[in-house]
Amino acid sequence: MTDKQKAIREIEHTADLGLEIEADDLPGLFASAGEAFYGLIADPTEIQPKEEISVSATGECWEELFHAWLCELLAQFNLKGFIGKQCRVHRVEPGRVEARIKGEILDLKRHRFYTEIKGVTYHEFKVWHENGKWRARVIFDV
Amino acid sequence: MSKSSEALAGEIKLHRVEEFLWEIPRQGGMRVPGRIFATEKLLADLKEDNSLRQVMNVAHLPGIVGYSLAMPDIHWGYGFPIGGVAAMELNEGVISPGGVGYDINCGVRLVTTHLTYSTIQQKMARLVETLFSLIPSGVGSEGAIPGLSKTEEKRLLRDGARWAVAQGYGHQQDLDHMEEGGALPNANPELLSDRALARGLKQVGTLGSGNHFLEIGRVEEIYLSDVAQALNLFPDQVVVLIHTGSRGLGYQTCEDFLKVMNQAMAKYGIQLPDRQLACTPIKSPEGQDYLAAMASAANYAWANRQVIMSQAEKGFLKALDISPAELGFSLIYDVCHNIAKIEEHVVDGQRRRLCVHRKGATRAFPPGHPQVPKAYQGVGQPVLVPGDMGRYSYLLVGCQAAMEKSFGSTCHGAGRVMSRTQSKKESRGINIDQEMARRGVVARYQGRGTMAEEMPHAYKDVAEVVETMDLAGISKKVARFRPVGVIKG
Repeated sequence: MTDKQKAIREIEHTADLGLEIEADDLPGLFASAGEAFYGLIADPTEIQPKEEISVSATGECWEELFHAWLCELLAQFNLKGFIGKQCRVHRVEPGRVEARIKGEILDLKRHRFYTEIKGVTYHEFKVWHENGKWRARVIFDV
Repeated sequence: MSKSSEALAGEIKLHRVEEFLWEIPRQGGMRVPGRIFATEKLLADLKEDNSLRQVMNVAHLPGIVGYSLAMPDIHWGYGFPIGGVAAMELNEGVISPGGVGYDINCGVRLVTTHLTYSTIQQKMARLVETLFSLIPSGVGSEGAIPGLSKTEEKRLLRDGARWAVAQGYGHQQDLDHMEEGGALPNANPELLSDRALARGLKQVGTLGSGNHFLEIGRVEEIYLSDVAQALNLFPDQVVVLIHTGSRGLGYQTCEDFLKVMNQAMAKYGIQLPDRQLACTPIKSPEGQDYLAAMASAANYAWANRQVIMSQAEKGFLKALDISPAELGFSLIYDVCHNIAKIEEHVVDGQRRRLCVHRKGATRAFPPGHPQVPKAYQGVGQPVLVPGDMGRYSYLLVGCQAAMEKSFGSTCHGAGRVMSRTQSKKESRGINIDQEMARRGVVARYQGRGTMAEEMPHAYKDVAEVVETMDLAGISKKVARFRPVGVIKG
């Protein structure tokens, strides 16, 4: 198990799915969350980094920005079927996040699909800094 | 043995109001008490999750009247519990997109046929395969109606199921057997975001993924023969249940308005224990906009289920090589279980217009209610309660007690008892096709992951859920259906 995998925990929720993510810094938090999010939708080992897309999101505080980031990834998946494998977050600053994501279009014939995510909820949603680490908790409607 | 008058679920103390009705007294910022319909056994299951805390949280919403209610299929949701009902008065009350859910107007419709299962049993594999090819399912499924323009999409959003019938999907008489005739009148598609409209363009007539399905069932048990007769039901009859909603367009609309309301709440001085309950006054511009956007998405869902039903009819005709008259495809009813509706109810002896949020709950109006279709005035509104895909589903009818105790609402399904992750773990090593075949169900599906999450072991026994509401006098069991074929995303 890699350090990145160790820093991501799936939350047991009766109806929905959730994640807790921990990272040393904000770019790491956003990138890990993005990759873990894609890992809920389909088996990440089967996704190839065939193409690269640019993704950006805006939000007034870290929580809003993190929420907007996940909503943007969900929208890219829903509108284009794009599923990421590697997220490289090159800029996180108050109000804005920018990233480049390598992945491909989901193909149900080749990829093991897990779960359709309907929304990024605010239920128990939290982004916080503690003991030198950035942490986030998010529950998805599935 | 005497029945206990109190129960403890986690740290929450409840006292018994009636045999199957429990109350959480007002405390802290709760404006009304919480009330839960449940047997002692169902209540015991709730200790494991946070759903009762969510009933209490909903009781904090401004303008809530009566009780923050939960049906016996209650389980932990986000913001509102799934199985929650909350009625708000129109002047001071709020509207909450989280109280409707991401899948706006997720609902169920029941279609009857003239066929008996024994006559088509040998053709089930072909029938299921044909339906699977005609009705797109799975994540991002699209393409049932190619080339839908944005202008046409907006017409669909205004007219709901009427649009689908006008396009040749189904029949005029279908519209008489849906809540609101298959279209809420206050829809305004101009309030939907470009992203919501884009997501809706290609998904009309698609099932989607998750717990959505098309199920072929057979009438296994009839409980009220006079009502069953009025609904043209008979033993061994083949029926079809369709469970889906407003797809990506609805999810996006919920997301868009959650953001709007989260930002606007401070302006109205609203503070809540959970941001997912984000809301604004019904009368506010944001509240009115949401209601008109929600109505558009609700209409999309009705059009979606109407197109799927029409495609299913074509599938039956093709696979069984019979005439429409021999098939007798006929819509019994279409219910919403994720919606907010403006309705009249009596509170403290006074008739009031209220905004009733039902999130994972079904309307259950009694005989004689003006909003019950003419054909069902004598028996009450049909209520459709799907179970898990391997066991059974139910048809109920609404009763007068629903108007007195639950704002005209009853349960909507089995209710999960196991997380999706846990369900997948439990499904490891199980051959899903063999397991479904063992249960007598021919299944076609897109993703093993969804099937593993939705296996029967993940759900409460729906029989106990509907029995609770039957014994509480809220809705009466009419018939039980055994699934014999299912298509899923």
